[in-house]
Amino acid sequence: MVADVVLTVDFAIILLSATIVGFIAKQTGQPTIIAYILAGIIIGPAVLGIVETSELTELLSELGLAFLLFLLGIKMRLEDIQHVLTPIVKISLPQMAAVFLAGMGVALALPPFGLLESFLIGLAVMYSSTAVVIKMLNDKDEATSLHGKIDVGVLLVQDIVVVIILAVLAAGQPDDLAEVATTLAVVLVLVALITVAAIGASKSVLPVVFRRIADNTEVFFLVAISWAFLFVFVSDNINLFLAPFGIEAYLSIEMGAFLAGLAIAQLPYSKELQDRVNPLTDLFVMVFFVSVALDLEAAQLLGLWQEAIVAALVLMPVKFLIFFYLLDWQGFDTETTFLGSINMIQVSEFGIIVAAVAFEGGFIQAEVLGFMTLLAIFTMSVSVYFIEFNHALFNRFEPTLERWTGDGEFEGGKQEYSGHAVVIGYDDVTKNALPLLADHYEDVVVVDRTVSHIETLKQEGYDAIYGDFRNSTIRKDAAVKQADFVLSSSVQTEVNKALLREVSDDATVFVEAERVDHARDLYANGAHCVIMTPHLAADRLADYLRAYLEGEDDTLMEAIDSDVELLEKPDPFPADHDRLGGELDD
Amino acid sequence: MTDLLTAVTIIFIVAGPFLLVANRLDLPTVPFFVLAGIVAGEFIDPDLLLELAYYGIALLVFAFGARIDLSGVRTVLADGEFAAIGQILVVGSLGVGFGLVLGVPPIEAIYLGIAAALSSTIVGTALLQRTINSDPVRGRLVRSIQFVQDLLAILFILLLGAGTLEIGYVGPALAVGVALLLAAVLVNRYLFDVVGRLAGDSDELMILGVITLLAVFVGAAEFAGIPIVVGAFAAGLAVRYDPVDYLGLFNGLQSLRDFFVAIFFVTIGALVVFPFVGGIGWAESVEKLVLVAGLVALTAVVKPAVTTAILISRGYEARSATLASLNTDQISEFALIIAIQAFMIEALSPAVFDAIILAAAVTMVTSSLTHRYDEQIYRTLADRGVIVGRHDRVDEWSDVPDDIADHVVIVGYGRQGRTLVQTCEEMDHPYVVIENDPARRADVVSECVAVVIGDAMERYTWEKANTADAKLVISTVNSQPVSRHILSLDTEAEVTLRAPDRATALELLDAGALYVGQPDLLAGQQLAQQVRGLLDGDLTREELREQQQAELERRADYLPLHLR
Repeated sequence: MVADVVLTVDFAIILLSATIVGFIAKQTGQPTIIAYILAGIIIGPAVLGIVETSELTELLSELGLAFLLFLLGIKMRLEDIQHVLTPIVKISLPQMAAVFLAGMGVALALPPFGLLESFLIGLAVMYSSTAVVIKMLNDKDEATSLHGKIDVGVLLVQDIVVVIILAVLAAGQPDDLAEVATTLAVVLVLVALITVAAIGASKSVLPVVFRRIADNTEVFFLVAISWAFLFVFVSDNINLFLAPFGIEAYLSIEMGAFLAGLAIAQLPYSKELQDRVNPLTDLFVMVFFVSVALDLEAAQLLGLWQEAIVAALVLMPVKFLIFFYLLDWQGFDTETTFLGSINMIQVSEFGIIVAAVAFEGGFIQAEVLGFMTLLAIFTMSVSVYFIEFNHALFNRFEPTLERWTGDGEFEGGKQEYSGHAVVIGYDDVTKNALPLLADHYEDVVVVDRTVSHIETLKQEGYDAIYGDFRNSTIRKDAAVKQADFVLSSSVQTEVNKALLREVSDDATVFVEAERVDHARDLYANGAHCVIMTPHLAADRLADYLRAYLEGEDDTLMEAIDSDVELLEKPDPFPADHDRLGGELDD
Repeated sequence: MTDLLTAVTIIFIVAGPFLLVANRLDLPTVPFFVLAGIVAGEFIDPDLLLELAYYGIALLVFAFGARIDLSGVRTVLADGEFAAIGQILVVGSLGVGFGLVLGVPPIEAIYLGIAAALSSTIVGTALLQRTINSDPVRGRLVRSIQFVQDLLAILFILLLGAGTLEIGYVGPALAVGVALLLAAVLVNRYLFDVVGRLAGDSDELMILGVITLLAVFVGAAEFAGIPIVVGAFAAGLAVRYDPVDYLGLFNGLQSLRDFFVAIFFVTIGALVVFPFVGGIGWAESVEKLVLVAGLVALTAVVKPAVTTAILISRGYEARSATLASLNTDQISEFALIIAIQAFMIEALSPAVFDAIILAAAVTMVTSSLTHRYDEQIYRTLADRGVIVGRHDRVDEWSDVPDDIADHVVIVGYGRQGRTLVQTCEEMDHPYVVIENDPARRADVVSECVAVVIGDAMERYTWEKANTADAKLVISTVNSQPVSRHILSLDTEAEVTLRAPDRATALELLDAGALYVGQPDLLAGQQLAQQVRGLLDGDLTREELREQQQAELERRADYLPLHLR
């Protein structure tokens, strides 16, 4: 009776299975990526066969990759990555050549593959998985660490290469090397052009636009998304734009999304955006991982399973060694070299895509596609554990590794606050405390959601973070857990309670509340002082009224005059703070 | 790239500039999404987007449900105002009548009636947030009216799910709806924390789990043959409203909601055929315009008028009633959901559908304008005698000795007002309290010797308080218009006021106030003093804590319950 069934059951099943397997994984300490891939295998044609890819799941998984790269772009401040650009290029190109040779060699050694097939397998295994590595780096909050930046850089170079290879494969057998070279040149020029456009925008238009909308959460978020889609659209339709000039070229939407994010990253509001984009990315990337295994029949997937496992067992150590050697060669310290290499040992989802395009182009059989898929799923799954426990592994093997590596001369990493003061919200109440805190603490970090406040604070030399304290990235950035003193001007009890839960036991915490019940609640949760603005004002007013009614005009006028004087004081950061505060002792 | 991805891409690219314009003009975003949709409709096929748009609807209603704190519903309904129902009946019938007069089939006329009767929550709440602090009476009124309306909207959606009102559908549908709500309450009580525990500290899994919950409820609704909106609402109720424990969850849902709701509103716009420019003839365009104009008139003029009349007759002051009513002068996004649902099952013709959508977009814009100038609108109407407040209620509830003079007039019986009253009583000085909030009426009347229950913006209130002979007027109300009004009073009395910020305080002092209290200033002083004490080592944080807690309890001792 009701409208045509509009919502497909498929998506609901994907959600349900991913949730269930995800919960089990969480309880047993496994990474969520594994859970999603497993869920996909279970509900896909390989096992139960109850879900097929639909237009919706395809959309969401494409969006997943695009958003993942967009999110990554938002985190990349140019000044932070400039110093690793050269080593990245020097690492990624030899790396791909070496892994290509290794992959082709392994394939040739395995009976079922001929020369052409081996060549294509070599091309398909060169890349590490953007989805796995970046998701794991994000989850572990290591995307902006030195090894994180190297990995991300290498992945992006690989992304450019994959785009070129896909373009060539899609065009069918290339006539000659010259055609390949032209494609390469066109893609590189396009990437360069879009990068210039993005950086240009981040210097000119974007600051003006985003400053205006930064105080409106919804508009801010959606305009940023709109900006990302603009780049996605341009990258995807670049061929249409270039057709009139007789040039044929393709760009990946991921590349576009990354550059869009990169432009926003240069603005002071990018932190806030990370937290807003994160949930969408998580959901979409989940669909991506689930749908990896949705396309293949069991027979195809498992037809060459022994070969896939052999290839995986050979390729993973080889990849690690190649990366390890190259990173060490570029002068990174042992830890960075190890972490940067161990993260990259898997075969990428792009390998599957390259194989799929080759399959459609008639270069390979379905079994080879199944082999590539299994190889990718298997290496991704295994590598997730290596990434999850990379630090533990490093600690275990550090003495051995030291013997093999050169001296690290590369500086990097990010500074962390500790033992500092955090002030949440800059207003008429908290601003009085700022100079006091600045005298006592080396770092005073102020979190605020108003652009003009951030600007004032920065001028005054405070560390100011733009964003909503409710967002976990913002809390992490302000290093609330390490703070020695926290002052919150929020009167929302839930925000303050969440804050009290997060701070360390040694921290002194000042919060505000409007009602007695709330204040009691906050004391019970460990607050040291709850400022109750309305009550203070009520007491003060009652004192004045008493003086007035008793006819003590002189005292009253004096008190009033001093209040008025305080009001008229324009300087938000009074240099002479001794005169503040001395007057409430009545 | 799939066609679908292209469509989504285009939607967001087109919506971006429209959002910038909305933000620039300080107007709500929904009408601009619809406009963006009308433009994007040129390039995309909205049918492609329907499934995504339905997720938008589901998330919109789900988020509404998730914000409802089950344990708090009773209090909202208790201090609630059932003016909402009267208003819906009157305006709804007018809407139906209007449709019938224009020759719209009866079932479609019902949709017109619903569209006219329901007010928007997103737009209304967004507008309201700016005033809720300075005007609690009106804030509570509007919130309560809209809450009742939203619940009714869900009921309408359930009942109209089949596009008819056949008993064969309605009975079972109601039963399923109730069953889903019960299931939601059970999940909320027992299952939700299990989900929280299973997800551990992972926001990702928590959000995924809750979205799955949504999918399951929506699936159940679809399976049972009732609108998915009802399932989404039930799923929202199943989510425990606990922003402390599930901070990441509520932030995450906000992003998902914003994303998909944008798709929904733009898709709606893309479905609209614009009069004169779309591929329709002159006659049809005119007919559509008449429908739009009628709906706009009903919503933007008749509805607030009816609401005002009902509220005044229920004893509210003319001003509060008018201002609260002006918050209801738009078409609800729920009406849009009802319309698109009916459109999809072909219970609604394209002309009526378009009219509802366009009228909604128009009224959402006009509503934010009337909101911006509400005080002026009320003044104009009151001065011309269009709105006549009645004073008999004021007379009935108020109690002021005839011979009172040299007294203190205290405006507002909140924390400050209460403390001031105590001071006056201690010193045995005559006073009059002016209070307007019906929720506080009982307390004021029982606790104070002399009271006026009336609006501080009304001349009669001040006459009643015999302000002309007063010694001092103290306003504890954080409202610029009230402060200005007090300064313009014809009295010898001195005036002290309250200001939200430093700039206003200075302005009011210049304008003649004896003293202007600015609470933040005091709090800032106290804070600085305590911080210094701590940092200089004058007292330990434990000492500070004890001292502060003792102070809190001292204060709590003499505060009545509702002010704590």
